[in-house]
Amino acid sequence: MITAQFDYATPNTIAEAVALLAQNRDDAKILAGGHSLIPAMKLRLAQPQLLIDLGRIKDLAYIREEGGKILIGAMTTHYQLESSAGLRDSCPLLTECAASIGDVQVRNKGTIGGSLAHSDPAADWPAAMLALRAEIVAIGSSGERVINADDFFVDLFTTALHPGEIIREIRIDRPNSSSRQAYQKVPHPASGFAVVGVAVSLQVSGDAICETASIGITGVGAKAFRATGVESALTGKPLDDEQTITLAAAHACDGIEANADLYASADYRVHLAQIHTARAIRRTISNGK
Amino acid sequence: MKIEGTHEINASRERVYECLTNAGVLKRCIPGCERLEKTGENVFATTIRTGVGSIKGVFNGTVRLEDMRPPEHYRLVVEGKGTPGFLKGTGDLDLEDHGKTTIVRYAGEVQVGGTIASVGQRMLQATARMMATQFFTALEAEAKTAKDAPPPKHGFFRTALRWFSGWLRRMFRSFA
Repeated sequence: MITAQFDYATPNTIAEAVALLAQNRDDAKILAGGHSLIPAMKLRLAQPQLLIDLGRIKDLAYIREEGGKILIGAMTTHYQLESSAGLRDSCPLLTECAASIGDVQVRNKGTIGGSLAHSDPAADWPAAMLALRAEIVAIGSSGERVINADDFFVDLFTTALHPGEIIREIRIDRPNSSSRQAYQKVPHPASGFAVVGVAVSLQVSGDAICETASIGITGVGAKAFRATGVESALTGKPLDDEQTITLAAAHACDGIEANADLYASADYRVHLAQIHTARAIRRTISNGK
Repeated sequence: MKIEGTHEINASRERVYECLTNAGVLKRCIPGCERLEKTGENVFATTIRTGVGSIKGVFNGTVRLEDMRPPEHYRLVVEGKGTPGFLKGTGDLDLEDHGKTTIVRYAGEVQVGGTIASVGQRMLQATARMMATQFFTALEAEAKTAKDAPPPKHGFFRTALRWFSGWLRRMFRSFA
């Protein structure tokens, strides 16, 4: 349980961090909370030569609104997101999702940017990012670029980030008054990771008709995915009809090869995803906004 | 852990079988394979440097081909040991003629042990699936090129393909 030897750098600005990463592209890792990386290093499964700690960079942890968008700094901790009164009001999916992550120690140290860059197949944030159609701002030596959540998660632990790029910010359109959201999760009893996690974001008209739906599911496949089958089955339908919700939720894992492990078989995961998709949709209605 | 799947490859069954038993082709197709040397009749020694995310490891092992019935079947026996753990497995590959394409069915049983198995159990199957996809994507590129032509450059192909599909998506988005 002792890591292999490594160097440790604490840049004070994101530009310094990018420069350091560019010089050590193959054997450096970014430390952004470290609740996945440090355990892997202690088991010597990961042996980076250099850790670049983003913790000293002052202007990377924030939640603010600007031009109709919610902006979240990459180093904002899960706890900061969970306890933000502003967010609970404007975008409750984010606070619900943050509150469901791991335990309090993980939430105090772990960051949203770290979680997204790691892209664990059972992490909670990817589902929420997909449902909210978030934009992920990455910075590298050739400048900044914006990646849509739909394009960001590529495969198991694989994102659209290039080597040498660091997540700087997450941008989300501020939900309007007809938005309804919920995050519903089955946590693994030991790790707290999502066996299945479902993030639902709906636009609902005054007479409970679903105008648009976007639903992200994590924990089931090699990466989080949009449940497009459920989305199209809900669009234009009344949400106060139990049958509609059940039928739509049955499409939760269409076209997905579900993971199996010692805790949950593939069939069980698919079943859980369907049940919890239905529950999440029902909760969006009872949640209000 | 059971691993199974099918991949359709756009080449004749004879050509696919030839690729699947050629050390040079296999070396280029196995993700992270640094060395694949023939040490006996249908026995190879290999070094694979591979990983997902921040977890990386080097595996040394042997690959043996058994029960060979060209061009339809062989059995693969793999044994490997590395920094993150060890693995042992057997798998059957069956090739089926399907008009101009070939369907490769694989089914096997793999035992994984050591650190990687005790802490990474929930990731094993998804990792195996990802690597199988990478392998067969590369194999298809190999099978499509003529026997004597220079081998395709997988890294370049993949990068170009990714770039092109990203570009297409962006174009469609800007028109929508």
